[in-house]
Amino acid sequence: MMLGSPIENIPVGPRDAPASIYLAPSLAAALGALSEYGAAGAPLAGGTWIMRSPIRHEPLRTHYVAIGRIAELTAVRIGSDAIEIGAAVTHAALATALADLPEFAGLAAAAGGSANPAIRAMATIGGNLATSEFSAADCVPALLCLDADVEISGRDGRERIGLAHFLAIRSTLAPGRLVTRIIVPRAERNTAHARLPLRRAGDYPVAIVSLSVRVDAADRVQAARIAVGSVEPSARRWPRLEAALIGHPLDAAAAARRAAELTDEFIGRDSVDAPAWYRVSVLPGLVRRAAIAALGS
Amino acid sequence: MGFSLTVNGDRLSCAADPATPLVDILREEMHLTGAKPVCREGFCGACMVLIDGEPTPSCLLPAALADGREIRTVEGLAPLGMLNRIQAALEASDAVQCGMCFPGMVVSLTHFLTTRPDATRDDILMALTGNICRCTGYERIVEATLLALASA
Ligand SMILES: Cc1cc2nc3c(=O)[nH]c(=O)nc-3n(C[C@H](O)[C@@H](O)[C@H](O)COP(=O)(O)OP(=O)(O)OC[C@H]3O[C@@H](n4cnc5c(N)ncnc54)[C@H](O)[C@@H]3O)c2cc1C
Ligand code: FES
Ligand code: FES
Repeated sequence: MMLGSPIENIPVGPRDAPASIYLAPSLAAALGALSEYGAAGAPLAGGTWIMRSPIRHEPLRTHYVAIGRIAELTAVRIGSDAIEIGAAVTHAALATALADLPEFAGLAAAAGGSANPAIRAMATIGGNLATSEFSAADCVPALLCLDADVEISGRDGRERIGLAHFLAIRSTLAPGRLVTRIIVPRAERNTAHARLPLRRAGDYPVAIVSLSVRVDAADRVQAARIAVGSVEPSARRWPRLEAALIGHPLDAAAAARRAAELTDEFIGRDSVDAPAWYRVSVLPGLVRRAAIAALGS
Repeated sequence: MGFSLTVNGDRLSCAADPATPLVDILREEMHLTGAKPVCREGFCGACMVLIDGEPTPSCLLPAALADGREIRTVEGLAPLGMLNRIQAALEASDAVQCGMCFPGMVVSLTHFLTTRPDATRDDILMALTGNICRCTGYERIVEATLLALASA
């Protein structure tokens, strides 16, 4: 007679630990490995989002391809018409590279003021743009204001699309494809990035307003791009406010008043750190701060 | 699959899964319990170590990316049982309360003192954005850092 129950051979479920992390030595090697792994693989850049998957109760992928040491993905090229930012450039490296270029003050503030110093030295711009579940990304609204393009590469070639389009398709990016560069045109403009964290620094912004304006000789706004981050699930531009600023001198108080009249188009997201209505209600104040910073830049 | 980790000058091999956070290897395999996994999110800095000389939260660094790099933990900052400059200043300023944040504070500030000898009070506050003291003893920590800078 058998006591107790026999030990059953229960199949072990998928382990919540990746089988491999491949440190790609070159872009070709990374694209080859990603293509081979297909849906079972994903790029690993700074790891600051991926390594927190267990806390979000999300499974890890079976295979990761680490792209942080690929030379052509870690360079910022500053040309006369455009700057090209490798996808694995860290927030800290980007802020340093842009320090002497006033037209990029907004992007430099976004990259240099996000998270905390140790995270800025790890987290990459490509990871920041590619993480569709992360609403509070700083570089996304900053780059929306700068008319940025995103280059996506696969083993079979590369394509270049506008950032707003990329944001719309990023969650369904085909396996094997990688953001390789961010291309930002150069132009004379004043830019700023205003964010509201709950403490002075170090935690996620409740809301973000990024601004880019070109003014004429009489200080009237000729062109404006304004983007709002962290309020809705994904950052987006604020075309009605942009239109309202055109033709007038940039005046911070007036811009904040116009913003207050136009906030009804935003549906804030609720989360433990801030309720939806609060995220929307701080927008006029952030518009004012961004305008003041842009006027000073 | 195995990794080769250089921790406080010692070369050690490790058989962990490639995504195992470095903090768990340091504590569970190497019994270096200075780095503490408190938030496991990169927010608090209690797990801070130096990787190739740069402060890095070891909760977010997978073993595979620590392979072959120079790792220094709080245990390796003050050789021969001496205190380093910031440790001595923290003790002199009576800055330690429960102590949970201190290994991370010491790692971040040891790096800070060598890279920012002209730092102001504001620079110190910004540098400590990613080191949270749950006992909120920031004033004395900042005072101790200013003391250490002045005694250089
Ligand atoms: C404590 C803390 C606070 C933070 N605060 C902020 C903040 O205030 N503002 C802010 O903007 N960020 C903040 N971050 C950073 C945040 O984790 C991410 O936005 C980060 O930028 C992701 O970059 P990563 O390189 O670490 O990505 P990873 O974790 O390596 O990857 C994230 C995702 O992007 C994919 N991916 C990475 N690179 C590419 C690529 N080149 N092409 C296609 N897909 C890619 C990965 O497969 C994965 O799905 C914070 C992080 C921490 C830990
Ligand atoms: S445990 Fe790593 S930062 Fe908090
Ligand atoms: S002394 Fe207690 S957490 Fe800092």
